[in-house]
Amino acid sequence: MVGAVALHVAILAATMFAWTHTLDIADEAPPVVPVDLVTIGEKTNIRAMVKQQPKEPPKQEEVQPPSPEKAEVTPVTPQREEAAPPPDQMAAEKVPQKPPPPPQVQPQEKPQPEKKKESFDIDKMMAFLDKRAPAQSAAPNAAKGPKTIKGIGQQNAMTMDLIDTLRNQIAQCWSPPVGAPHPEQLIVQYELFLNRDGTVAQTPQLLSSTSSDPFMRAAADAARRAIYTCQPYRLPPDRYDQWQDITLNFDPRQMVGQ
Amino acid sequence: MKKIALALAALFALTVPGSAALQVDVNQGNIQPLPIAIPDFIGDPQGANIAKVVRADLERSGLFKPLDPKSYVEQIKSINAAPTFANWRVINAQGLVTGQAQAQSDGRLRVDFRLWDIYGESQMLGLQYFTQPENWRRIAHLISDAIYERITGEKGYFDTRIVFISEGGPAKNRKKKLAVMDEDGANPIFLTRGDYLVLTPRFNPTAQMIAYMSYINGKPRVYLFDLESGRQEMLGNFPNMTFSPRFSPDGNKVAMTLENGGNSDIYVMDLRTRSYTRLTTDPSIDTSPSFSPDGKQICFESDRGGSQQIYVMNADGSNQHRISFGSGKNGTPVWSPRGDMIAFTKQGGGAFHIGVMRPDGSGERVISNGWEDEGPTWAPNGRVLMYSRTLQGGRGSQIWSVDVTGRNERRVITPGDASDPAWSPLIQ
Repeated sequence: MVGAVALHVAILAATMFAWTHTLDIADEAPPVVPVDLVTIGEKTNIRAMVKQQPKEPPKQEEVQPPSPEKAEVTPVTPQREEAAPPPDQMAAEKVPQKPPPPPQVQPQEKPQPEKKKESFDIDKMMAFLDKRAPAQSAAPNAAKGPKTIKGIGQQNAMTMDLIDTLRNQIAQCWSPPVGAPHPEQLIVQYELFLNRDGTVAQTPQLLSSTSSDPFMRAAADAARRAIYTCQPYRLPPDRYDQWQDITLNFDPRQMVGQ
Repeated sequence: MKKIALALAALFALTVPGSAALQVDVNQGNIQPLPIAIPDFIGDPQGANIAKVVRADLERSGLFKPLDPKSYVEQIKSINAAPTFANWRVINAQGLVTGQAQAQSDGRLRVDFRLWDIYGESQMLGLQYFTQPENWRRIAHLISDAIYERITGEKGYFDTRIVFISEGGPAKNRKKKLAVMDEDGANPIFLTRGDYLVLTPRFNPTAQMIAYMSYINGKPRVYLFDLESGRQEMLGNFPNMTFSPRFSPDGNKVAMTLENGGNSDIYVMDLRTRSYTRLTTDPSIDTSPSFSPDGKQICFESDRGGSQQIYVMNADGSNQHRISFGSGKNGTPVWSPRGDMIAFTKQGGGAFHIGVMRPDGSGERVISNGWEDEGPTWAPNGRVLMYSRTLQGGRGSQIWSVDVTGRNERRVITPGDASDPAWSPLIQ
């Protein structure tokens, strides 16, 4: 009996010890793990994602699109004639249209591509010449869409958060064309210029190919609506220089079947 | 390591050094109906009715959200002037339809409409129609089709009709009548009086003729019904039961099943010569043929492998091969008018569902949620399906529709109980 009591007391005491001990440990200051903040770009230097030679043609394509995009907007009216089904006793014809006055941003459209071309020519070429070796072999697999993936550099580490923020905001507004027969083919690319307050500065420029395919046109319209309805974009004003010019690549492939 | 670098590169949207453009891959979206404002059309009082039908059509598609007219800030006074786009952005409209109806001196009705892109501040579409005033509903459907096509890239399906079996009367003496109605449930017409059983009605490609199975005089046979003349005729003079008819895409042939001594096989009859060809010879039950939109292939159901499954063959009967290998039984296949899918009835776990798969059998998905859903039919654009739904506990049957993505499942309003719907092509 005495033994049993002693044993109980001993167990109780041991438990208390254990608790005390645990508390002791908890009281200790947690070890400090030294962390160096390193810019990824400096270490990895993942640069050229595409070969040097193909760089020129894609760039030219990007310079061109403003005109195709404009061309796409205007023909909307003429195009209707074929879409209008003239059934038996009904004559369908185009209503003469008074196009709304062109947005005041129109004159700005030209300077933009030019500006882009200028900055691209020297800075970018140098950057690519510098570090293309390590990532070049990866290029063929990397670019799957019609988009040209140009590279990843020092800016990437700094802008990843911006990219995530933008992507999340636009995802709320974009209704992808998932019911179309081949939604995987309906990849649309726009260049977007933003004001400092996050509003759209001028008509977004369609960079991907314009086509008369009604599905492609609908996909381009849907992407453009997403761009507009999502404004103003909530982005840090002090980093305006990093997000004033954005290329958006709307890719519905992951949404298919959902 | 390269792979990791590659994955990282692909995962994160990339930045262009030098050129300032920030590259963002948007690969997730939020599938939502498009908010659209459709004020009553100005001019003739019929304009309000037309706008109402257009609103209902677009809402039913699940791809549009017509905004409540009470929320409109601007009143449309003329359709020839551009609206004040900011007034429509205030109510979050992304599209605006303005229209006008006018009675003409020759008695016809003229209807104009324009579709505006509120953010792009431009006109997307402008059309004009003339018609007899009593056709105003069709004009409304044609306008809905035009808007739907401009926004989605896909042909519309509002100017179409549905043929179905209307069911009524007491449970022990249920009468089944052949009926047609507009896609929105308007203008229902009974084609037969319910004196004899009718099943599986199917439109021909001009929507003027219906093939169906009927038990006239107690003999189950395939009949043709001409909608214009109201005339019906038995298709062929076979000694045994014929059933499950379906037209070829050119309308010149009807594929159907002919039963002979317990063995059912698929035949094709040329409507011009009334000659027929046997396509299957298997001793099992082969039935429910449906042509591919190019007319070169036929999908059908067969239990030759032990259970009811879906097969595909060439239109001449060659190259018969099974395409459904999923769980349960699969039957009543119907080829999409778009060609990219085959819809079917999937039976398993005591329930029936509507499924879709690609013509090679891949990509199978179940898209309906009922307890007993069967007999799918495609909208002419291959985007939407209708089917029969039997309610649990014998509480009747209804027609339901669903988007091919599985979204927007909703009941189709019919006069009384209804089953076995078949969608017409676009009305010519």
